[in-house]
Amino acid sequence: MSESANTTVRVDGVSKQYDLGGTVMALDDVSLDLSAGSYTAVMGPSGSGKSTLLNLIGGLDTPSSGRVVVNGQDVSAASEAERADIRGTEVGFVFQTFNLMPRLSAVENVALPLVFDGWDRDRRRERAASLLSEVGLADRTDHVPSELSGGQRQRVAIARALSTDPALILADEPTGNVDTDTGAQILDLFDDLHAAGNTFLLVTHERHVAERAERIVHVEDGHIQSIEDVSGGQH
Amino acid sequence: MDTGESVRITLRSIRAHKLRSALTVIGVVIGIASVITFATFGASVEAEIVGDIETSNAGNIYVFGTPADDDDFDRTLQPVFTEYDIQQLERIAGVEAVLPRGIVQTQSIQHGDQTLARQQVTATRPASFTQNVLVEGRSFEADEEAVVVNERMAGSFSENLTAGERLTMTMPDGSERNVTVVGVVNGTRGEVPVSEFARQPRVYVPIDPFYDSVVESPSAGVRQRAYPQVTLVVDPRAIPETQSAIQTYLSGESDARSLSADDTELVARSGNDFVEEISDVIERITRFVTGIAVIALVVGAIGIANVMLVSVTERTREIGIMKAVGARNRDVMQVFLVEAALLGTLGSLLGVPLGLLVGYGATRYAEVTFSLAPLWMALAVGVGVLVGVVAGLYPAWRAARVDPIDALRYE
Ligand SMILES: Nc1ncnc2c1ncn2[C@@H]1O[C@H](COP(=O)(O)OP(=O)(O)OP(=O)(O)O)[C@@H](O)[C@H]1O
Ligand SMILES: [Mg+2]
Repeated sequence: MSESANTTVRVDGVSKQYDLGGTVMALDDVSLDLSAGSYTAVMGPSGSGKSTLLNLIGGLDTPSSGRVVVNGQDVSAASEAERADIRGTEVGFVFQTFNLMPRLSAVENVALPLVFDGWDRDRRRERAASLLSEVGLADRTDHVPSELSGGQRQRVAIARALSTDPALILADEPTGNVDTDTGAQILDLFDDLHAAGNTFLLVTHERHVAERAERIVHVEDGHIQSIEDVSGGQH
Repeated sequence: MDTGESVRITLRSIRAHKLRSALTVIGVVIGIASVITFATFGASVEAEIVGDIETSNAGNIYVFGTPADDDDFDRTLQPVFTEYDIQQLERIAGVEAVLPRGIVQTQSIQHGDQTLARQQVTATRPASFTQNVLVEGRSFEADEEAVVVNERMAGSFSENLTAGERLTMTMPDGSERNVTVVGVVNGTRGEVPVSEFARQPRVYVPIDPFYDSVVESPSAGVRQRAYPQVTLVVDPRAIPETQSAIQTYLSGESDARSLSADDTELVARSGNDFVEEISDVIERITRFVTGIAVIALVVGAIGIANVMLVSVTERTREIGIMKAVGARNRDVMQVFLVEAALLGTLGSLLGVPLGLLVGYGATRYAEVTFSLAPLWMALAVGVGVLVGVVAGLYPAWRAARVDPIDALRYE
């Protein structure tokens, strides 16, 4: 199978099955390609398998069958340590609940992936500070998460996702825990980062959020129902 | 992951749980401090006793009988070493002086209007008192109606005894003997080493005319004085040879051998033998007590393990976050091991000075000179760190195995 240099993510016949009492097919034979620089939204009802798909691509989980390739690396065949490295360098996660380290300052949170990537302290700080000013938080570097608003926390999380300059940013309901205005600001930031060349995969159940992307992948019951092209819809 | 960063994360976590961390550290402090206390106290006692013996008694050889049944103390004190034996011992090469010791029973000793009941009086030769044990006065002559007392005895009377004063000794048969105190000593040449530590009040008298235990000497065929115990002062450069020559005589042709029960062993023990024996006993006691203190340390370790398990559970979400941003299992493990090791190290760093302080107090209380046990101290610090690491291993391993998805979902 040829993988074009342009393909950042290839999901190939992936299934994910959970056995808890009964068998749950969270994903059933899903295939999907994301090209470099693309912006894709995943929509679907609750429990349809959106988060599962995101976690498999990000190397947080392994598929029951099928293959996931991120930036040329086979995530599905990788060892636990290799998947840790992929999570650290190839992808950046943005979660609905922010998931910041509560006792680390904004700049330390942004620098955390660089710690595990082996950067030295001065370079980490420098990179993290510049990313924070990029997301508009230059004056909040030494605040801990509890001293920041929801929108600010999410921007710290976005800066953290960008820190290792990953091939792909995975966002699972990034606007789910903030008000509409703040959510809009975050989506604007995504637009800017997309325009700057970043690849996005965003999970949402809100139509207007999904419409900010170029494509909407509709998922239902672990299957991809349809892929809708909304390129230029909002811009 | 670099150590500096794991230490930073750890310090934040410790600071966020100050009370809990402090209590955990106190557990380790108590463990380490008890170990240090007992080890230092034991080392101090040993140094004190051994030092005493070594300075004064290295060249002494003690000769006495030990019955097979150790508890039969009376038989230890049988007068079996005859004047004949003493003459033979004096002829052995390397023997500089032979100091027999006998026990004279008294009902009481009076000085002025004060009476001390049932004092044991030691009969010995004038050679027992060298110039450097005399505090005051002189030694008695071989057949003088005079006594020498040690400082403890001199201090037993409300008015301190001094040379020239008179004592009245009431003998078991009720007769009284008036004697002059001619000297005060701070010990004797050839004293059994342990008694120097015990420092009992003692009165010394010349053998003639006070000591009259007599037996028939099998070798000489006449009745003569016999003693339960003899000390030989030997040439310090020839202790082993002289000791074995003495032992050979005792086990062979000696009167003591013929007069002792068959199962009684006659031994010639040097001051060094005593040092070794006593050191051995003290070391064994110290090790035993310190071993008990180690239990406190184990409890401290369990405290660390417990707190670390709680910490892992509380920080499950943080573990998930770290893993989501690229932490490998060993990075997560490192964070928790560093925390455990830090608690252990902190505990031992505080425990060592506390242990030294309490150990010092104990030596002051027991009136022995304080000596350090540096090996034990180094060991205690090492053990503290080790205790932390070992106690943290299982919790850290649990942390490393946390599934990132479950962890991120964890509330
Ligand atoms: N660890 C798990 N064990 C068992 N079942 C699971 C597990 N994780 C997910 N599932 C099941 O897999 C299915 C898909 O879950 P997933 O989290 O991907 O849904 P989702 O589309 O993200 O839903 P939501 O919009 O509510 O976040 C669900 O039926 C869920 O119950
Ligand atoms: Mg979800």
